[in-house]
Amino acid sequence: MTRTYSNRAWLLLIPALLVMGFVAALPLIAVFNYSFHDIFTLEQAFWIGPDWYREILSDPRFWGSLGRSALFSLIVLSVQVPLGIWLALLMLRMGRLAVPVLILLALPLVVPWNMIAGMWLTLINPEIGVLGKAMDASGIAFDYKFTALHTWILIVTVDTWHWLGLVVILSYAGLSAIPAPYRQAAAIDGASRLAVFRHIELPRIAGALSIVLLLRFVDSFMIYTEAFAINAGGPQDATTFVSLELGEDIKSFSYGRAAARAMLDFLIVLAVAWAFIRIRAGRSGTEGFGA
Amino acid sequence: MSAPGPGGAALRIVVFATLAVFVLLPFVQTILLSFTLTLPREGYRTGQFTLLNYIGIFEREDLRSAIANSLTYVTLNVLLCLAAGLPAAYAFARFRFTGDRHVLFALLAFRLTPPVVLSLPIFILFANVGLVNTPVGIALVHCAFNLPIAIWILESFIAAVPREFDESCFLDGQSLPGFFFKRLIPVIAPGIGVTIFFCFIFSWVEVVLARILTVTAGKPITMAINALFGFRTDIGLVMAMTVVSLLPGVAMIWLVRNHIARGFVIRT
Repeated sequence: MTRTYSNRAWLLLIPALLVMGFVAALPLIAVFNYSFHDIFTLEQAFWIGPDWYREILSDPRFWGSLGRSALFSLIVLSVQVPLGIWLALLMLRMGRLAVPVLILLALPLVVPWNMIAGMWLTLINPEIGVLGKAMDASGIAFDYKFTALHTWILIVTVDTWHWLGLVVILSYAGLSAIPAPYRQAAAIDGASRLAVFRHIELPRIAGALSIVLLLRFVDSFMIYTEAFAINAGGPQDATTFVSLELGEDIKSFSYGRAAARAMLDFLIVLAVAWAFIRIRAGRSGTEGFGA
Repeated sequence: MSAPGPGGAALRIVVFATLAVFVLLPFVQTILLSFTLTLPREGYRTGQFTLLNYIGIFEREDLRSAIANSLTYVTLNVLLCLAAGLPAAYAFARFRFTGDRHVLFALLAFRLTPPVVLSLPIFILFANVGLVNTPVGIALVHCAFNLPIAIWILESFIAAVPREFDESCFLDGQSLPGFFFKRLIPVIAPGIGVTIFFCFIFSWVEVVLARILTVTAGKPITMAINALFGFRTDIGLVMAMTVVSLLPGVAMIWLVRNHIARGFVIRT
Protein backbone atom coordinates (compact mmCIF):
# COMPACT_ATOMS: atom_id res chain seq x y z
CA MET A 1 0.00 0.00 0.00
CA THR A 2 1.71 3.16 -1.13
CA ARG A 3 0.76 6.39 0.50
CA THR A 4 1.39 9.73 -1.13
CA TYR A 5 3.30 12.43 0.67
CA SER A 6 1.14 15.46 1.40
CA ASN A 7 1.20 17.80 4.34
CA ARG A 8 -2.34 18.88 3.52
CA ALA A 9 -3.36 15.67 5.32
CA TRP A 10 -2.82 17.63 8.52
CA LEU A 11 -6.07 19.49 7.73
CA LEU A 12 -7.94 16.19 8.09
CA LEU A 13 -6.45 15.73 11.56
CA ILE A 14 -7.69 19.08 12.91
CA PRO A 15 -10.96 17.84 14.51
CA ALA A 16 -9.21 14.89 16.17
CA LEU A 17 -6.31 17.05 17.38
CA LEU A 18 -8.67 19.68 18.83
CA VAL A 19 -10.61 17.05 20.78
CA MET A 20 -7.47 15.25 21.99
CA GLY A 21 -5.81 18.54 22.88
CA PHE A 22 -8.74 19.55 25.05
CA VAL A 23 -9.50 16.26 26.80
CA ALA A 24 -6.03 14.68 26.96
CA ALA A 25 -3.07 16.99 26.28
CA LEU A 26 -4.29 19.97 28.31
CA PRO A 27 -5.17 17.92 31.43
CA LEU A 28 -1.84 16.09 31.17
CA ILE A 29 0.06 19.38 31.15
CA ALA A 30 -2.03 20.53 34.12
CA VAL A 31 -1.15 17.37 36.10
CA PHE A 32 2.51 17.95 35.29
CA ASN A 33 2.22 21.51 36.62
CA TYR A 34 0.32 20.49 39.80
CA SER A 35 2.93 17.88 40.60
CA PHE A 36 5.43 20.65 41.44
CA HIS A 37 3.03 22.49 43.75
CA ASP A 38 1.71 22.12 47.24
CA ILE A 39 -2.01 22.70 46.72
CA PHE A 40 -4.35 23.78 49.48
CA THR A 41 -6.96 25.34 47.25
CA LEU A 42 -6.58 26.28 43.63
CA GLU A 43 -5.81 29.86 44.66
CA GLN A 44 -3.33 28.75 47.30
CA ALA A 45 -0.78 26.65 45.51
CA PHE A 46 2.91 26.95 46.29
CA TRP A 47 5.80 25.96 44.11
CA ILE A 48 7.81 23.31 45.89
CA GLY A 49 9.83 21.88 43.01
CA PRO A 50 10.32 18.12 42.85
CA ASP A 51 9.62 17.58 46.58
CA TRP A 52 6.60 15.34 45.98
CA TYR A 53 8.62 13.12 43.66
CA ARG A 54 11.40 12.87 46.25
CA GLU A 55 8.87 11.99 48.95
CA ILE A 56 7.09 9.34 46.89
CA LEU A 57 10.27 7.74 45.55
CA SER A 58 11.74 7.42 49.04
CA ASP A 59 8.54 5.89 50.40
CA PRO A 60 8.78 2.08 50.69
CA ARG A 61 4.98 1.85 50.34
CA PHE A 62 5.22 3.20 46.79
CA TRP A 63 7.77 0.57 45.82
CA GLY A 64 5.60 -2.07 47.48
CA SER A 65 2.55 -1.15 45.42
CA LEU A 66 4.66 -0.79 42.29
CA GLY A 67 5.94 -4.34 42.81
CA ARG A 68 2.41 -5.64 43.39
CA SER A 69 1.09 -3.88 40.26
CA ALA A 70 3.96 -5.28 38.18
CA LEU A 71 3.34 -8.78 39.59
CA PHE A 72 -0.38 -8.48 38.92
CA SER A 73 0.25 -7.43 35.29
CA LEU A 74 2.71 -10.29 34.88
CA ILE A 75 0.21 -12.86 36.18
CA VAL A 76 -2.65 -11.40 34.14
CA LEU A 77 -0.64 -11.35 30.91
CA SER A 78 0.80 -14.82 31.38
CA VAL A 79 -2.65 -16.28 32.07
CA GLN A 80 -4.82 -14.37 29.61
CA VAL A 81 -2.59 -14.07 26.54
CA PRO A 82 -1.64 -17.78 26.11
CA LEU A 83 -5.17 -18.86 27.06
CA GLY A 84 -6.72 -16.35 24.65
CA ILE A 85 -4.46 -17.37 21.75
CA TRP A 86 -5.12 -21.06 22.42
CA LEU A 87 -8.89 -20.50 22.39
CA ALA A 88 -8.60 -18.44 19.19
CA LEU A 89 -6.62 -21.29 17.57
CA LEU A 90 -9.32 -23.78 18.60
CA MET A 91 -11.99 -21.51 17.09
CA LEU A 92 -10.21 -21.24 13.75
CA ARG A 93 -11.62 -24.40 12.24
CA MET A 94 -15.12 -23.96 13.57
CA GLY A 95 -16.38 -21.77 10.73
CA ARG A 96 -19.72 -20.15 11.55
CA LEU A 97 -19.72 -21.76 14.99
CA ALA A 98 -17.01 -19.32 16.00
CA VAL A 99 -19.57 -16.50 16.02
CA PRO A 100 -21.55 -17.76 19.05
CA VAL A 101 -18.25 -18.21 20.92
CA LEU A 102 -17.27 -14.64 20.08
CA ILE A 103 -20.65 -13.40 21.30
CA LEU A 104 -20.23 -15.40 24.52
CA LEU A 105 -16.76 -13.99 25.14
CA ALA A 106 -17.80 -10.42 24.36
CA LEU A 107 -20.53 -10.45 27.03
CA PRO A 108 -18.32 -9.56 30.04
CA LEU A 109 -16.91 -6.60 28.08
CA VAL A 110 -20.24 -4.76 28.22
CA VAL A 111 -20.69 -5.00 32.00
CA PRO A 112 -20.21 -1.64 33.76
CA TRP A 113 -16.93 -1.87 35.65
CA ASN A 114 -18.35 -1.09 39.06
CA MET A 115 -20.84 -3.95 38.72
CA ILE A 116 -18.27 -6.61 37.85
CA ALA A 117 -17.07 -6.90 41.43
CA GLY A 118 -20.70 -6.82 42.61
CA MET A 119 -21.69 -9.71 40.35
CA TRP A 120 -18.75 -11.86 41.47
CA LEU A 121 -19.06 -11.06 45.16
CA THR A 122 -22.71 -12.06 44.98
CA LEU A 123 -21.79 -15.25 43.13
CA ILE A 124 -19.34 -16.36 45.83
CA ASN A 125 -21.46 -15.15 48.73
CA PRO A 126 -22.03 -18.28 50.87
CA GLU A 127 -25.62 -17.24 51.69
CA ILE A 128 -27.06 -16.13 48.35
CA GLY A 129 -24.48 -17.09 45.73
CA VAL A 130 -24.61 -20.25 43.64
CA LEU A 131 -20.85 -20.74 43.76
CA GLY A 132 -20.60 -19.59 47.37
CA LYS A 133 -23.18 -22.17 48.45
CA ALA A 134 -21.45 -24.89 46.45
CA MET A 135 -18.06 -24.07 47.97
CA ASP A 136 -19.57 -23.89 51.43
CA ALA A 137 -21.23 -27.30 51.00
CA SER A 138 -18.04 -28.91 49.76
CA GLY A 139 -16.04 -27.47 52.62
CA ILE A 140 -13.88 -25.03 50.67
CA ALA A 141 -13.19 -22.07 52.91
CA PHE A 142 -12.74 -19.18 50.50
CA ASP A 143 -12.02 -16.07 52.51
CA TYR A 144 -11.20 -13.22 50.15
CA LYS A 145 -11.57 -10.61 52.87
CA PHE A 146 -8.76 -11.75 55.14
CA THR A 147 -6.61 -14.20 53.19
CA ALA A 148 -4.28 -12.37 50.82
CA LEU A 149 -3.84 -15.34 48.48
CA HIS A 150 -7.60 -15.70 48.11
CA THR A 151 -8.01 -11.97 47.34
CA TRP A 152 -5.36 -12.31 44.64
CA ILE A 153 -7.02 -15.41 43.18
CA LEU A 154 -10.36 -13.63 43.12
CA ILE A 155 -9.02 -10.46 41.46
CA VAL A 156 -7.08 -12.43 38.82
CA THR A 157 -10.15 -14.62 38.12
CA VAL A 158 -12.46 -11.62 37.86
CA ASP A 159 -10.02 -9.77 35.60
CA THR A 160 -9.65 -12.85 33.39
CA TRP A 161 -13.42 -13.22 33.17
CA HIS A 162 -13.69 -9.56 32.23
CA TRP A 163 -10.94 -9.30 29.61
CA LEU A 164 -10.34 -12.76 28.11
CA GLY A 165 -12.87 -11.88 25.39
CA LEU A 166 -10.81 -8.95 24.14
CA VAL A 167 -7.70 -11.14 23.87
CA VAL A 168 -9.61 -13.85 21.99
CA ILE A 169 -11.42 -11.42 19.66
CA LEU A 170 -8.24 -9.64 18.60
CA SER A 171 -6.17 -12.87 18.33
CA TYR A 172 -8.93 -14.56 16.34
CA ALA A 173 -9.14 -11.49 14.08
CA GLY A 174 -5.42 -11.77 13.36
CA LEU A 175 -5.44 -15.55 12.90
CA SER A 176 -8.47 -15.70 10.62
CA ALA A 177 -6.88 -13.12 8.31
CA ILE A 178 -4.07 -15.58 7.45
CA PRO A 179 -4.76 -17.09 4.02
CA ALA A 180 -5.33 -20.87 4.13
CA PRO A 181 -2.57 -21.69 1.56
CA TYR A 182 0.08 -20.68 4.13
CA ARG A 183 -1.04 -23.41 6.51
CA GLN A 184 -1.61 -25.93 3.74
CA ALA A 185 1.93 -25.40 2.44
CA ALA A 186 3.31 -25.94 5.93
CA ALA A 187 1.20 -29.09 6.33
CA ILE A 188 2.57 -30.51 3.08
CA ASP A 189 6.07 -29.84 4.37
CA GLY A 190 5.16 -31.91 7.43
CA ALA A 191 5.48 -29.08 9.92
CA SER A 192 4.23 -29.78 13.43
CA ARG A 193 1.32 -27.79 14.88
CA LEU A 194 3.77 -25.96 17.13
CA ALA A 195 6.06 -25.11 14.20
CA VAL A 196 3.11 -23.80 12.16
CA PHE A 197 2.17 -21.56 15.06
CA ARG A 198 5.72 -20.39 15.76
CA HIS A 199 6.78 -19.67 12.18
CA ILE A 200 3.59 -18.93 10.28
CA GLU A 201 0.83 -17.79 12.60
CA LEU A 202 2.72 -15.93 15.32
CA PRO A 203 4.57 -13.51 13.00
CA ARG A 204 1.34 -12.73 11.20
CA ILE A 205 -0.71 -11.96 14.31
CA ALA A 206 2.11 -9.96 15.89
CA GLY A 207 0.37 -6.68 15.08
CA ALA A 208 -2.91 -7.74 16.65
CA LEU A 209 -1.06 -9.23 19.63
CA SER A 210 0.84 -5.99 20.22
CA ILE A 211 -2.33 -4.06 20.88
CA VAL A 212 -3.60 -6.89 23.10
CA LEU A 213 -0.38 -6.90 25.13
CA LEU A 214 -0.31 -3.12 25.48
CA LEU A 215 -3.99 -2.70 26.39
CA ARG A 216 -3.92 -5.60 28.83
CA PHE A 217 -0.68 -4.31 30.34
CA VAL A 218 -1.97 -0.78 31.05
CA ASP A 219 -5.42 -1.81 32.15
CA SER A 220 -4.08 -4.45 34.54
CA PHE A 221 -1.19 -2.30 35.76
CA MET A 222 -3.62 0.51 36.58
CA ILE A 223 -6.51 -1.68 37.77
CA TYR A 224 -8.71 0.35 40.08
CA THR A 225 -12.47 -0.14 40.00
CA GLU A 226 -12.61 -3.92 40.42
CA ALA A 227 -9.72 -4.16 42.89
CA PHE A 228 -11.12 -1.36 45.04
CA ALA A 229 -14.61 -2.82 45.08
CA ILE A 230 -13.38 -6.31 45.96
CA ASN A 231 -11.25 -5.56 48.99
CA ALA A 232 -10.13 -1.90 48.92
CA GLY A 233 -6.46 -2.93 48.82
CA GLY A 234 -6.66 -5.34 51.72
CA PRO A 235 -5.98 -7.49 53.57
CA GLN A 236 -3.24 -5.31 55.05
CA ASP A 237 -2.27 -3.70 51.74
CA ALA A 238 -1.75 -7.10 50.07
CA THR A 239 -3.71 -5.85 47.03
CA THR A 240 -2.86 -2.15 47.20
CA PHE A 241 -1.87 -1.38 43.63
CA VAL A 242 -0.42 1.93 42.37
CA SER A 243 -3.82 3.18 41.25
CA LEU A 244 -5.34 2.51 44.67
CA GLU A 245 -2.62 4.59 46.31
CA LEU A 246 -3.34 7.32 43.79
CA GLY A 247 -7.03 7.09 44.62
CA GLU A 248 -6.22 7.47 48.33
CA ASP A 249 -4.29 10.67 47.64
CA ILE A 250 -7.14 12.15 45.61
CA LYS A 251 -9.71 11.22 48.24
CA SER A 252 -7.63 12.82 50.99
CA PHE A 253 -7.37 16.04 48.91
CA SER A 254 -3.59 15.79 48.66
CA TYR A 255 -3.69 17.05 45.09
CA GLY A 256 -0.03 17.93 44.65
CA ARG A 257 1.12 14.49 45.73
CA ALA A 258 -1.68 12.86 43.73
CA ALA A 259 -0.47 14.73 40.63
CA ALA A 260 3.15 13.66 41.17
CA ARG A 261 2.00 10.07 41.67
CA ALA A 262 -0.15 10.27 38.54
CA MET A 263 2.85 11.56 36.53
CA LEU A 264 5.06 8.72 37.81
CA ASP A 265 2.43 6.11 36.91
CA PHE A 266 1.93 7.67 33.50
CA LEU A 267 5.69 7.76 32.82
CA ILE A 268 6.08 4.09 33.80
CA VAL A 269 3.25 3.06 31.46
CA LEU A 270 4.65 5.21 28.65
CA ALA A 271 8.20 3.91 29.11
CA VAL A 272 7.01 0.30 28.90
CA ALA A 273 4.90 1.06 25.80
CA TRP A 274 7.81 2.85 24.13
CA ALA A 275 10.32 0.10 24.93
CA PHE A 276 7.85 -2.47 23.63
CA ILE A 277 7.40 -0.61 20.34
CA ARG A 278 11.16 -0.14 19.88
CA ILE A 279 11.78 -3.86 20.43
CA ARG A 280 8.97 -4.80 18.04
CA ALA A 281 10.16 -2.37 15.38
CA GLY A 282 13.73 -3.60 15.73
CA ARG A 283 12.72 -7.23 15.42
CA SER A 284 10.37 -6.95 12.45
CA GLY A 285 12.66 -4.51 10.66
CA THR A 286 9.69 -2.59 9.31
CA GLU A 287 8.71 1.00 9.94
CA GLY A 288 6.19 0.05 12.60
CA PHE A 289 3.92 -2.75 13.55
CA GLY A 290 0.43 -3.82 12.83
CA ALA A 291 0.54 -2.30 9.37
CA MET B 1 -2.20 -29.90 9.71
CA SER B 2 -5.18 -32.17 9.16
CA ALA B 3 -8.83 -31.53 9.82
CA PRO B 4 -9.74 -32.06 13.47
CA GLY B 5 -10.61 -35.68 14.12
CA PRO B 6 -13.15 -36.93 16.64
CA GLY B 7 -10.60 -36.25 19.39
CA GLY B 8 -10.34 -32.61 18.28
CA ALA B 9 -14.09 -32.20 18.27
CA ALA B 10 -14.41 -33.69 21.76
CA LEU B 11 -11.67 -31.37 23.02
CA ARG B 12 -13.49 -28.38 21.58
CA ILE B 13 -16.79 -29.37 23.15
CA VAL B 14 -15.19 -29.78 26.59
CA VAL B 15 -13.19 -26.54 26.34
CA PHE B 16 -16.04 -24.36 25.12
CA ALA B 17 -18.57 -25.88 27.50
CA THR B 18 -16.23 -25.09 30.41
CA LEU B 19 -15.71 -21.60 29.00
CA ALA B 20 -19.47 -21.07 28.69
CA VAL B 21 -20.01 -22.05 32.32
CA PHE B 22 -17.19 -19.74 33.46
CA VAL B 23 -18.46 -16.78 31.45
CA LEU B 24 -22.18 -17.27 32.07
CA LEU B 25 -22.19 -18.18 35.77
CA PRO B 26 -22.04 -14.58 37.08
CA PHE B 27 -24.73 -13.58 34.55
CA VAL B 28 -26.99 -16.45 35.58
CA GLN B 29 -26.55 -15.47 39.23
CA THR B 30 -27.37 -11.85 38.46
CA ILE B 31 -30.45 -12.68 36.40
CA LEU B 32 -31.73 -15.14 39.03
CA LEU B 33 -31.45 -12.56 41.80
CA SER B 34 -33.02 -9.87 39.65
CA PHE B 35 -36.22 -11.97 39.61
CA THR B 36 -36.04 -12.69 43.35
CA LEU B 37 -37.58 -10.68 46.14
CA THR B 38 -34.69 -9.91 48.48
CA LEU B 39 -36.18 -7.38 50.90
CA PRO B 40 -39.24 -8.25 52.99
CA ARG B 41 -42.46 -6.65 51.75
CA GLU B 42 -46.00 -6.91 52.94
CA GLY B 43 -47.88 -9.73 51.28
CA TYR B 44 -44.74 -11.35 49.83
CA ARG B 45 -42.08 -13.65 51.12
CA THR B 46 -38.41 -13.04 50.49
CA GLY B 47 -36.86 -15.41 48.04
CA GLN B 48 -39.94 -15.83 45.89
CA PHE B 49 -40.03 -15.17 42.16
CA THR B 50 -41.08 -11.62 41.40
CA LEU B 51 -41.14 -8.93 38.75
CA LEU B 52 -41.23 -6.22 41.42
CA ASN B 53 -37.54 -5.40 40.98
CA TYR B 54 -38.04 -4.50 37.34
CA ILE B 55 -41.27 -2.64 38.09
CA GLY B 56 -39.29 -0.79 40.77
CA ILE B 57 -36.86 0.54 38.16
CA PHE B 58 -39.63 2.11 36.13
CA GLU B 59 -41.22 3.59 39.21
CA ARG B 60 -38.06 5.41 40.24
CA GLU B 61 -37.39 8.64 38.42
CA ASP B 62 -33.66 8.68 39.35
CA LEU B 63 -33.10 5.25 37.79
CA ARG B 64 -35.01 6.09 34.63
CA SER B 65 -33.12 9.33 34.13
CA ALA B 66 -29.79 7.57 34.78
CA ILE B 67 -30.53 5.17 31.93
CA ALA B 68 -31.40 8.13 29.69
CA ASN B 69 -28.24 10.01 30.73
CA SER B 70 -25.97 7.07 29.97
CA LEU B 71 -27.57 6.45 26.59
CA THR B 72 -27.22 10.16 25.75
CA TYR B 73 -23.54 10.54 26.48
CA VAL B 74 -22.58 7.21 24.93
CA THR B 75 -24.41 8.12 21.72
CA LEU B 76 -22.80 11.56 21.68
CA ASN B 77 -19.39 10.01 22.29
CA VAL B 78 -19.80 7.56 19.41
CA LEU B 79 -20.86 10.38 17.07
CA LEU B 80 -17.92 12.55 18.15
CA CYS B 81 -15.45 9.71 17.68
CA LEU B 82 -16.78 8.99 14.20
CA ALA B 83 -16.88 12.66 13.17
CA ALA B 84 -13.31 13.36 14.32
CA GLY B 85 -11.97 9.87 13.71
CA LEU B 86 -13.03 9.36 10.08
CA PRO B 87 -11.05 12.24 8.53
CA ALA B 88 -8.04 11.43 10.72
CA ALA B 89 -8.18 7.73 9.81
CA TYR B 90 -8.44 8.67 6.15
CA ALA B 91 -5.36 10.89 6.48
CA PHE B 92 -3.31 8.07 8.04
CA ALA B 93 -4.57 5.46 5.56
CA ARG B 94 -3.85 7.49 2.42
CA PHE B 95 -1.05 9.98 3.11
CA ARG B 96 2.39 10.27 4.57
CA PHE B 97 3.15 13.64 6.10
CA THR B 98 5.67 15.35 8.34
CA GLY B 99 5.19 14.17 11.92
CA ASP B 100 2.64 11.45 11.16
CA ARG B 101 4.42 8.86 13.28
CA HIS B 102 4.68 11.29 16.19
CA VAL B 103 0.94 11.88 16.09
CA LEU B 104 0.35 8.12 16.03
CA PHE B 105 2.59 7.64 19.06
CA ALA B 106 0.82 10.51 20.86
CA LEU B 107 -2.53 8.81 20.17
CA LEU B 108 -1.18 5.57 21.63
CA ALA B 109 0.16 7.45 24.66
CA PHE B 110 -3.24 9.07 25.24
CA ARG B 111 -5.04 5.74 24.91
CA LEU B 112 -2.64 4.31 27.49
CA THR B 113 -3.13 7.19 29.92
CA PRO B 114 -5.11 5.79 32.84
CA PRO B 115 -8.29 7.83 33.50
CA VAL B 116 -7.42 8.14 37.20
CA VAL B 117 -4.33 10.13 36.17
CA LEU B 118 -6.39 12.76 34.37
CA SER B 119 -9.40 12.86 36.68
CA LEU B 120 -8.34 15.85 38.77
CA PRO B 121 -7.44 18.42 36.07
CA ILE B 122 -10.32 17.28 33.89
CA PHE B 123 -12.73 18.13 36.65
CA ILE B 124 -11.19 21.60 37.14
CA LEU B 125 -10.97 22.28 33.39
CA PHE B 126 -14.53 21.13 32.72
CA ALA B 127 -15.90 23.02 35.73
CA ASN B 128 -14.37 26.21 34.30
CA VAL B 129 -16.09 25.83 30.95
CA GLY B 130 -19.41 24.62 32.33
CA LEU B 131 -19.17 21.01 31.21
CA VAL B 132 -19.79 19.40 34.59
CA ASN B 133 -23.13 17.63 35.19
CA THR B 134 -23.91 17.44 31.49
CA PRO B 135 -23.78 14.41 29.19
CA VAL B 136 -21.72 16.52 26.75
CA GLY B 137 -18.84 16.67 29.24
CA ILE B 138 -18.71 12.91 29.68
CA ALA B 139 -19.09 12.34 25.94
CA LEU B 140 -16.11 14.61 25.31
CA VAL B 141 -13.88 13.19 28.01
CA HIS B 142 -14.42 9.60 26.86
CA CYS B 143 -12.90 10.62 23.52
CA ALA B 144 -9.53 10.62 25.32
CA PHE B 145 -9.44 6.82 25.12
CA ASN B 146 -12.05 6.14 22.40
CA LEU B 147 -10.85 8.45 19.64
CA PRO B 148 -7.45 6.68 19.26
CA ILE B 149 -9.25 3.33 19.03
CA ALA B 150 -11.74 4.73 16.51
CA ILE B 151 -8.85 6.00 14.38
CA TRP B 152 -7.02 2.63 14.48
CA ILE B 153 -10.11 0.62 13.54
CA LEU B 154 -11.26 2.96 10.78
CA GLU B 155 -7.73 3.28 9.43
CA SER B 156 -7.37 -0.48 8.98
CA PHE B 157 -10.72 -0.68 7.18
CA ILE B 158 -9.98 2.31 4.91
CA ALA B 159 -6.51 0.95 4.10
CA ALA B 160 -8.17 -2.22 2.83
CA VAL B 161 -10.09 -0.21 0.20
CA PRO B 162 -8.00 0.17 -2.96
CA ARG B 163 -6.75 3.66 -3.71
CA GLU B 164 -8.32 3.54 -7.17
CA PHE B 165 -11.73 3.63 -5.51
CA ASP B 166 -11.04 7.16 -4.18
CA GLU B 167 -9.63 8.33 -7.46
CA SER B 168 -12.57 7.14 -9.52
CA CYS B 169 -14.96 8.86 -7.09
CA PHE B 170 -13.08 12.14 -7.35
CA LEU B 171 -13.01 11.79 -11.16
CA ASP B 172 -16.79 11.50 -11.00
CA GLY B 173 -16.75 14.99 -9.52
CA GLN B 174 -17.40 14.11 -5.86
CA SER B 175 -16.37 16.76 -3.34
CA LEU B 176 -14.44 15.57 -0.27
CA PRO B 177 -17.47 15.65 2.09
CA GLY B 178 -19.63 14.10 -0.62
CA PHE B 179 -17.05 11.36 -1.08
CA PHE B 180 -16.98 10.61 2.67
CA PHE B 181 -20.75 10.41 3.11
CA LYS B 182 -21.89 8.93 -0.20
CA ARG B 183 -19.01 6.64 -1.16
CA LEU B 184 -16.54 5.84 1.64
CA ILE B 185 -18.96 5.28 4.54
CA PRO B 186 -21.09 2.68 2.68
CA VAL B 187 -17.94 0.80 1.64
CA ILE B 188 -16.47 0.63 5.16
CA ALA B 189 -19.84 0.09 6.91
CA PRO B 190 -18.57 -2.99 8.82
CA GLY B 191 -15.65 -0.87 10.07
CA ILE B 192 -18.06 1.81 11.24
CA GLY B 193 -20.01 -0.91 13.03
CA VAL B 194 -16.93 -2.26 14.80
CA THR B 195 -15.90 1.30 15.73
CA ILE B 196 -19.34 2.02 17.17
CA PHE B 197 -19.14 -1.24 19.11
CA PHE B 198 -15.77 -0.58 20.75
CA CYS B 199 -16.49 3.12 21.45
CA PHE B 200 -19.87 2.16 22.85
CA ILE B 201 -18.63 -0.50 25.22
CA PHE B 202 -15.62 1.46 26.50
CA SER B 203 -17.78 4.53 27.14
CA TRP B 204 -20.71 2.59 28.61
CA VAL B 205 -18.63 0.74 31.20
CA GLU B 206 -16.32 3.60 32.25
CA VAL B 207 -16.77 4.65 35.86
CA VAL B 208 -14.00 6.95 37.12
CA LEU B 209 -14.45 9.94 34.82
CA ALA B 210 -18.21 9.59 34.56
CA ARG B 211 -18.37 9.79 38.35
CA ILE B 212 -16.24 12.85 38.90
CA LEU B 213 -17.99 14.81 36.15
CA THR B 214 -21.46 14.29 37.61
CA VAL B 215 -21.59 16.01 40.97
CA THR B 216 -25.22 16.97 41.33
CA ALA B 217 -26.98 16.01 38.12
CA GLY B 218 -26.69 13.91 35.00
CA LYS B 219 -25.73 10.78 36.95
CA PRO B 220 -24.92 7.82 34.71
CA ILE B 221 -26.36 4.35 35.19
CA THR B 222 -23.19 3.16 36.92
CA MET B 223 -23.50 5.79 39.63
CA ALA B 224 -27.23 5.16 40.01
CA ILE B 225 -26.38 1.53 40.79
CA ASN B 226 -23.74 2.61 43.32
CA ALA B 227 -26.29 4.87 44.98
CA LEU B 228 -28.59 1.88 45.58
CA PHE B 229 -26.14 0.44 48.11
CA GLY B 230 -26.93 1.57 51.62
CA PHE B 231 -28.12 0.50 55.02
CA ARG B 232 -30.63 -2.05 53.68
CA THR B 233 -29.53 -2.74 50.16
CA ASP B 234 -32.21 -4.18 47.90
CA ILE B 235 -29.92 -6.66 46.12
CA GLY B 236 -32.77 -7.74 43.87
CA LEU B 237 -33.22 -4.17 42.62
CA VAL B 238 -29.44 -3.76 42.18
CA MET B 239 -29.30 -6.92 40.09
CA ALA B 240 -32.36 -5.91 38.03
CA MET B 241 -30.70 -2.57 37.32
CA THR B 242 -27.47 -4.40 36.39
CA VAL B 243 -29.40 -6.58 33.95
CA VAL B 244 -30.95 -3.47 32.39
CA SER B 245 -27.47 -1.92 32.11
CA LEU B 246 -26.34 -4.97 30.10
CA LEU B 247 -29.09 -4.83 27.50
CA PRO B 248 -27.71 -2.09 25.20
CA GLY B 249 -24.29 -3.77 25.19
CA VAL B 250 -25.79 -7.15 24.34
CA ALA B 251 -27.76 -5.52 21.51
CA MET B 252 -24.51 -3.97 20.22
CA ILE B 253 -22.74 -7.37 20.28
CA TRP B 254 -25.60 -8.87 18.31
CA LEU B 255 -25.45 -6.12 15.68
CA VAL B 256 -21.72 -6.50 14.98
CA ARG B 257 -21.39 -10.25 15.66
CA ASN B 258 -20.26 -11.06 12.13
CA HIS B 259 -17.74 -8.23 11.87
CA ILE B 260 -16.29 -8.13 15.38
CA ALA B 261 -13.59 -10.61 14.38
CA ARG B 262 -12.01 -8.07 12.07
CA GLY B 263 -10.74 -6.40 15.22
CA PHE B 264 -8.14 -3.72 15.01
CA VAL B 265 -4.39 -3.17 15.02
CA ILE B 266 -2.46 -0.11 16.09
CA ARG B 267 -0.16 1.69 13.78
CA THR B 268 2.85 3.61 14.95
